[in-house]
Formats: sequence, structure tokens, C-alpha cells
Amino acid sequence: MIKVENLCLQLGSFSLKNINLAIKQGEFFVLLGPTGTGKTVLLESIAGLKKLQKGHIFINDEDITNKGPEERKISICYQDCALFPHMRVKDNIKYGLRFKADKHDATYRHNYDMLVQLLKIEHILDRYPVFLSGGEKQRVALARALIVDPDILLLDEPLSALDAGIKETIETELKNLHIALKTTTIMVTHDFREAYYLADRVGIIKDGCIVQTGTIDEVFQRPQSHFVAEFVGMKNIIKIADNSKFAAMINAGEGVSTEYFGVRPENIVISNEKMELGKWFIGIIQDIRNNGVYMVIEIQSFDIGWKAILTPNRVFELKLYVGKSIYWGFDAQHLCAI
Amino acid sequence: MLKKKPEIFFIVSFLAGIIILFFVMYPIINTFFWTKPGFILEALKDKDVMRSIYLSIGAATLTTFISFVLGVPFAYFLARKEFKGKSLVESIVDIPVVLPHTVAGICLLTVISPRCWLGKCLEDFGLEVLGSVAAIVIAMTFVSMPFLINAAREAFIWVSPRMENVSRTLGANHWQTFFLITFCLSWRDILSGMILTWARAISEFGAVIILAYHPMIAPTLIYERFSAYGMMYAVPVAVILIVLCLIIFICLRLLASDHMKGGAA
Repeated sequence: MIKVENLCLQLGSFSLKNINLAIKQGEFFVLLGPTGTGKTVLLESIAGLKKLQKGHIFINDEDITNKGPEERKISICYQDCALFPHMRVKDNIKYGLRFKADKHDATYRHNYDMLVQLLKIEHILDRYPVFLSGGEKQRVALARALIVDPDILLLDEPLSALDAGIKETIETELKNLHIALKTTTIMVTHDFREAYYLADRVGIIKDGCIVQTGTIDEVFQRPQSHFVAEFVGMKNIIKIADNSKFAAMINAGEGVSTEYFGVRPENIVISNEKMELGKWFIGIIQDIRNNGVYMVIEIQSFDIGWKAILTPNRVFELKLYVGKSIYWGFDAQHLCAI
Repeated sequence: MLKKKPEIFFIVSFLAGIIILFFVMYPIINTFFWTKPGFILEALKDKDVMRSIYLSIGAATLTTFISFVLGVPFAYFLARKEFKGKSLVESIVDIPVVLPHTVAGICLLTVISPRCWLGKCLEDFGLEVLGSVAAIVIAMTFVSMPFLINAAREAFIWVSPRMENVSRTLGANHWQTFFLITFCLSWRDILSGMILTWARAISEFGAVIILAYHPMIAPTLIYERFSAYGMMYAVPVAVILIVLCLIIFICLRLLASDHMKGGAA
């Protein structure tokens, strides 16, 4: 288990403020946040690569705050992989073993064989990194980080530099690797879809502060602030004070302390007839945007543009077109008070 | 069939290159025609000539070694650390490059002459710096070290600190990381810097004659022979120095540019 207590760090005009985190053994924790909010700095602080101004880091109740990065048993993988260009792939992978007193131990030989097999990199072991594709580089970086049996694996946006096709493959491999090895993992990303697929729990970071942590459902379905709601893809965020008609429809009039209500686009249902849902309304389709695998439908209702996500098949079945009047709604449990 | 139009820009660039190559190579090649093999052989047998050439090569090599030992760690510091006044420090490093060589010699003389506290201290310890090999090396180091520092700093900047971070988290300490990753990835550029430093040191004349006319390095000897006896006696020594410098320079250049060797692609 890794515990971060009141971590504070100042880097020029940027600072990490009072970060508190507790990540369980074997957990896949994803730290989500926009670019420039301190995700990488936080990872590097945990790895011992940045000196803390204040705070403590514990691994399995041992205080490692003053230990050097080489003593922490924490491996890091960067977005650009940071492979050593003067070493072949096999030497890159085995690099960490040079500094192990028990480097000839059979466990490491087993780790090497297993990782090479799991990550399917047998055919590139004799190549130099310059001759590898983006996906291959990321696999080698993962093998290099995991061969030393780290207590914690830190992943700094490992998927963001990859093409869409290979990204999915590596995503699946990351998941499989985590299931197989159960290494406690902290991954930072700005893409909430990666978190949806990979994370056991997520944390949202904004301007050097962690603003919410929880399970995927807790954070994605019940965001605690406007920023978090927007960041995790809750497209329909309504300010109660500006939309009294809608507030009245959902019985959120005076006396309600909530400032915003939100509904995720995938929780909005569209129909040509009245539905048996908790809340249903009439609207006019304003826009239909095809994103390839899904379609975003914008519905004008209560002077607001509501966004819903449907599959192309469903749009075809409903014979939707711009300007069509439809019924739309959502289950009351999907209405989120922010 | 489409007729390819000549690209004026590249023609101009090419012509500029031809002028530069002619400007550099013609005087060097022409020097060889100003003497005869017999005079060169005679110069090779002349003990003073050979002593000055050995001294030049030895002092330049020692200068390069000192610059390497002091300059590489400092270059790493400059490449990795941000601090107030960094650009000032970098400018100070470059000052010897912009100073006229005789001025550099005068500046050094004010420090190591017995009239300065440092020179006096050295004299008190029995170290006579002026007019010694040490003075030659001091003058050479002063004017040539910036080339090594700048080359090494650029090389270290090119190595991503993230590689060093990964190395650290995999169990390597700072020293191991430096020698296994950073230095391995930048040694060719550092070697290029060392070649420049060596070349600059061996060609130094202005600063050296202020601090040490004797013992004579090759440029001083050539100057003395030229001013006392004329071209006939100066050219053979110059030819020997040109040949030796070119041989060493080409060998080191080949070593530094052999990119595929050792797998550093």
C-alpha cells in the first residue's frame, strides 16, 4: 500500500498543494487531469525524483520520504518511453538487474522470460530502440520497468503518444499485465476513456490539488464539482439558477442547495414515443454529429442544448434527423447534483 | 519531357562553398610549395624544432585533459540546473573566446606575475610559473576550455533527463547513471569538443608568448624563425606542424563521427 500525506512541492510558480492519497496493494489508480496540472510532477515526487517541501510518502507503512529514487522500489514509464538508445532492447530490459545484488537469481530470469512472452517482444530483442514502432517502444519500457519487481509502477501518460489502433492493443496489454502481476499501479492521463477501462479507482487533479478521488462510478456518475463533471465527460451540466423551468420540472426549485445538475450523455434516452422513465421531455434535434463508432445528438429543450450519445444503428432505427421533434429523458437516478 | 529548372539558391550556396574551401585550402597547400623536401628533412633533424613540436603537442594534450576533468562536470551542471544568473555564468565561460589572445595573455600575467598575491604565493612555494611549461598550459587552457564546456553542455542537453530518471528508479545511483547513460550518449560530442579544444590549444600563440616565450612552442619558434631569418626557415617547421596536426585531427574526427560503432544509432 502506498500512502501520500500532505505532500507539498514548489517548482517555480507551480506548486503541488497538500496532496493526500491512499492506494491499496495491487490497485490500478488513475490520476486524471488536464495538461499542466502537476500530474507528472506528482509521479516524479512519489518516485523520489523531486524533493518535497513538506509531507511524507509511505510504502507498506515504511516512510520512504528521504530515500533516493534508487532505493524506493518504484519504477516509472514515461510517455516518450525514455529507452536508452545506445542499448539493444534486451539490454534495455535487463538494465535494472545490473544494480541488484541478487541479479543472477532465477526469479529475474523468470521475470524476463514471462515479460517478453506477455508483451510479445521476442522478435525485437536484438534491435536498437530507434528501429522500434511506438507500440513496441512502450512494451519494452513496460518490460524494463517491471523486470525489477517494483512495489509500485508509475505510468506517465503511456498511451497518449500512440496511434488509435495500437493504443487499444497496449491498453488491453496493460490491463492483462496488471491482472497477471498485480503490481500496484499509478497512471496519469488526461483521457477519461483510458481511466474508464483501466482504473480501479481514480483521482482528479486540478492546479496542483486533488479535488476528488473514488471509484469510477463515484467520480464519473457523482462528480463533486463543476470542473470534475466537465472533465469526466458529463456534457449536460445545468445551472439551476439560470434554468428555472427545468428546475421546476425536476422538482429542484427554491430550498435546494445544489448549484448545478448534470446528466451524462450516455444516460439520455431518445424515443419517438413517450417513455416510462422518471423524467421525460419534448425536444427538437438541433445537430447530429457522427464520431465514427457513436453519434452525438444535440437536442434543444428548455433553451438548452442537451447532448446524447447513440449508436449509428439506433439513430437509423429512430429515423432521427435535424429538426425532428422527439421525446427524450433519463432515469431519475442518473440526475446528478453537483 | 519536363525540363528541370536550376535552383538558383543551391547554385549560390554551392559557389559560396567553393570560395570558402579555396580560401582555406589554397594557403595551406601552397605552403608546401614554398619549401623543398631537403629543408623539411633538415628541420626534422633539428632538435629545437622537434622539441618545440613535442612541447606544443604535449601542452595541448595536457590542456585538453585539464579542460575535460574540470569542464565536463561543470558542463553537466550547466545543462541540468536552472539558477539565477545562469546566463551570466555562461557568458563568463565564453569570455576567453572573444578576448584578443594577447589581451588574454596580459590578463593572466596580471595574476601569475610575482606582483600579484597569487603569483607571489606560488613564488614563495618555489613555483616559478612565468616562462615555464605550466605557463604555456595555463595560457592554452584559458583560451581553449570554453570549446569543451560548450560542446559538452550541448551534448548533455540533448540527453533527456527522463532517461536519467528511469535509470535512477531502476536502481542506479547518480554516478552510475552519469557514466552508463549520460556519458555514453554524449561522448562523441564531448570528443568533438576535445578535438576543438586541442586544436585551439596547439594553435595558441598570442597568450603564450606573453607568459612564456621560452620554452618555445612550435608557433613561437615559427614566429622567431620568420622574424629573424625569413620564410625559408619558417616554412619547413610550419609544414611539419601542419602535417602532424592534420594527421591527429583526421584520426580523432573519424573516431568522433563513426556513429554506428557501438550501436549508438
